[in-house]
Amino acid sequence: MIAYLTTLIVLVSVAALVGLALNFQWGVAGLVNFGVVGFVALGAYTAALLSPPLGWVGGMIAAATLCAIASTFLALLSIRLGDDYLAIVTIGFGEIVRILLLNEDWLTGGALGIPNIPRPFVSLAPAGNYDVVLLPFALLLVAAVYLVLETLVRSPFGRVLRAVRDDATAASALGKPVLLLRVKAFAIGGAAMGVAGSLHAFYLTYIDPSQFTSIITAYAFMAVIAGGRGSNTGLLIGAGTIMTLIEATRFLKDVMQVIDGAQLSALRLGAIGLGIVLLLILRPQGLLPEPHRRAREFFPTEKGGQ
Amino acid sequence: MVAQLLLNGTITGLLIALPALALTITFGVLKFPNFAIGSMLTFGAYSAWIFNRLLNAPLPVAAVLSAVTVAGVAMLCNFLVFSRLRDRGSITLLVASMGIALILENICRFAFGNATRNFNIEIARPIRWLGLRVNQEQLTIVIVVLVCVAVIQFLFYASPIGRAMRAVADNPALAAVRGVERNFIANVAWALAGALVALAGVLAGLDRAIDPLIGWNYQIPIFAAAILGGLGSPIGAVVGAIVIGITEELSTLVLPTNYRQVVSFCVILILLLVRTQGLFGGKALRK
Repeated sequence: MIAYLTTLIVLVSVAALVGLALNFQWGVAGLVNFGVVGFVALGAYTAALLSPPLGWVGGMIAAATLCAIASTFLALLSIRLGDDYLAIVTIGFGEIVRILLLNEDWLTGGALGIPNIPRPFVSLAPAGNYDVVLLPFALLLVAAVYLVLETLVRSPFGRVLRAVRDDATAASALGKPVLLLRVKAFAIGGAAMGVAGSLHAFYLTYIDPSQFTSIITAYAFMAVIAGGRGSNTGLLIGAGTIMTLIEATRFLKDVMQVIDGAQLSALRLGAIGLGIVLLLILRPQGLLPEPHRRAREFFPTEKGGQ
Repeated sequence: MVAQLLLNGTITGLLIALPALALTITFGVLKFPNFAIGSMLTFGAYSAWIFNRLLNAPLPVAAVLSAVTVAGVAMLCNFLVFSRLRDRGSITLLVASMGIALILENICRFAFGNATRNFNIEIARPIRWLGLRVNQEQLTIVIVVLVCVAVIQFLFYASPIGRAMRAVADNPALAAVRGVERNFIANVAWALAGALVALAGVLAGLDRAIDPLIGWNYQIPIFAAAILGGLGSPIGAVVGAIVIGITEELSTLVLPTNYRQVVSFCVILILLLVRTQGLFGGKALRK
């Protein structure tokens, strides 16, 4: 039971990191990223390949850096155009990463993947019980990323990003460098996805392309919409709830004997899709709406001040 | 060898032309890219399979029934989801279309599993023509697509409803003032898109086996073709699709066949760099 709980918490942590990253890109900056899974996979593979020579810290930093570079590249290409192009380019990126991972055997091991990924702080763990170290490591990582992103959201940078999201023309008229701000926001989100990917790699110690399916992207979107776009705290609650619910469906198979594994995963993904659509229609602000910071002080009579 | 690749590429391109056309039609009227296009294609292939295999309808009949079904599904999606979110901006709409994509694809996966399936058709000998090999299926694809494109072209440029659609695409407010009902036009656009995508699903099912990812595999080429054609121009989408088909096919001379989608993706990236308006688009959709 303890082992299962650890697994669950680590899974939630990875999902929360991915969710926090997407929340920064989409929730705060208004930039849709349909290629979340591509960035997570890129992070995981970079960490897996570079941790042996550089150590886990180096691997993780390399993962974050590479994902930030890839994000910058994609953002520079498409953000100057409409929102639609970023969505198209990122969904393509996600697919291309998967194809490259499968086919570039010399680097990624192809479908077999990469085994024996070194883990952080192995020497601290008592023999045969690495969970004792992994659990706090995952939670600390989530806390660190949460703190960094929350600080950014509360900073002037975050305020400008929200302004750009809500009305790019107005922000630009006020002399804000809209393109640069968007590229930065997208790159920061990408870096966080790289960190999430490296945690994934450290946790499993074995990665292959089949672990990185569009499910990861779907979960992240569900978590952001459920938690409330723009609210990091809401996101943590959203990601926790979604992952726990999703994990709970594992036991559904024991109750409903007629459903096989493939059907169960189809049911899960379909339910995620339904959840996204229903939440968008019925509760677009999510469980914990983005706080309208200090707006009421300026507009005491109006609610929110939008 | 190259001639054969060119021929195959043209036919692959024609197959992509139908969904690219559908994408263009809904984009023109509703101003957001429909990410459910691949899943709708999968849905069309499976519904035709049900009519063909389980209800024993001949394939042409099954294809028409499937087109009607998917047109209905698309209109239902519009009624239940898109029409309610229309005022929330294109980002919300495209995330919603992603949600619908997940729902449709996983209905197919839940019902049919991951195994591949085939239509009930007689296996025919390929035709030899000037040293080139042409399958019966490929011939069917060419004929069906050309007929569809002609019908759409006629609908768009020579019928009142096409004029109304172009009016809404151009300037919805002005069209509304002139008494064009936007919701009705949106429904027509979805029905047309659904029917076209379903037919593409049937053709794709003829060309290869049907599996839950059949539509997803076409997603990037479809978008590449639509952007190449300049999002919003029907004939541009068709030409764009043929260019993409030929480029993908010729790339197999130098790249492994698994990398076809990478080629489409690179075409998108290059277009975004140098010619955003595509080959036929009037103006780029700049912010």
